[in-house]
Amino acid sequence: MQDISLHLLDIIENSVRAGAKCIRIRIINDAQENVLRFIIEDDGCGMDSETLAMAQDPFYTSKEDRIKKVGLGIPLFKQNAELCNGNFSITSEPCLGTVLKADFEKDNIDRLPLGNLKDTLLGAIIGHQDVDFYVNLISRDKGKEQSFHFDTEAIKVELGDIPLTYPDVIEYIEQSLIEGIQNTNMEDV
Amino acid sequence: MKTLADLKKIREKAQEEMKLRGSNVRIKIVVGMGTSGIAMGAREVMKTFLEEISQRNLTDVLVTQTGEKGLSSMEPVVDVIEEGKEKITYGNMTPEKVKKVVVEHIVNGRIVSDYVVSTGS
Repeated sequence: MQDISLHLLDIIENSVRAGAKCIRIRIINDAQENVLRFIIEDDGCGMDSETLAMAQDPFYTSKEDRIKKVGLGIPLFKQNAELCNGNFSITSEPCLGTVLKADFEKDNIDRLPLGNLKDTLLGAIIGHQDVDFYVNLISRDKGKEQSFHFDTEAIKVELGDIPLTYPDVIEYIEQSLIEGIQNTNMEDV
Repeated sequence: MKTLADLKKIREKAQEEMKLRGSNVRIKIVVGMGTSGIAMGAREVMKTFLEEISQRNLTDVLVTQTGEKGLSSMEPVVDVIEEGKEKITYGNMTPEKVKKVVVEHIVNGRIVSDYVVSTGS
């Protein structure tokens, strides 16, 4: 993966496949503590402790119909976080959901760039109309905090039976995300 | 700033349109978004579909994302599903190829056979 927002997209797809109806994404860009933090929380089927341990193994996949049994999504994300002096953890509870946390040391030379967060979120939101997304972007620098909150539930209520793929709606969501990403200085992280 | 009031206007406009031509989804596009698809550029493929729908004002097209389907060597992979017709799977997609598929297949109903990697289920 070339950037962290591609990992984020991969993790979102995991949540969707786990049957999540609600996915919360928090990204914290903290210059004071020199950390870029990702917290992805879903209400999908969750994993027991045995499956959870295996999920971090590259030769494990939950997809049963495969001939080649590899699952690189989580191991690669973990590797990229740890490569830049960061942390990676997953906690999960069967039937309740999963929380994934990844910390990256912000100024580490080996840290991947955040990349195109807008395209990750736009594709995930519109590509999964029946999942509610709550996105929180927070940036902290020199004692100041800026935040952006976006949730698709309010949008869906307002739209009624109009699908998210309606052209003007795509544009609306895209513009909202661009504004939020700019206001929280997440463009060139 | 985008507000929920903007959405209300969009809804009113869309509802007017639907009164005129019905609210049917004519064509469904499914972009494979598994780990290998993402690594090969599926996000940009998805983005280009959304851009084209928005720019060409295609109101009867649905785009969704899905996990891997075992065509890893041909990622990014895209299915085009039209009611009453065979499913068409395009492989090795790029933003440029997406634009061509939208013009030829989605708008004009002509399958771009050069990019097809499988048909049917």
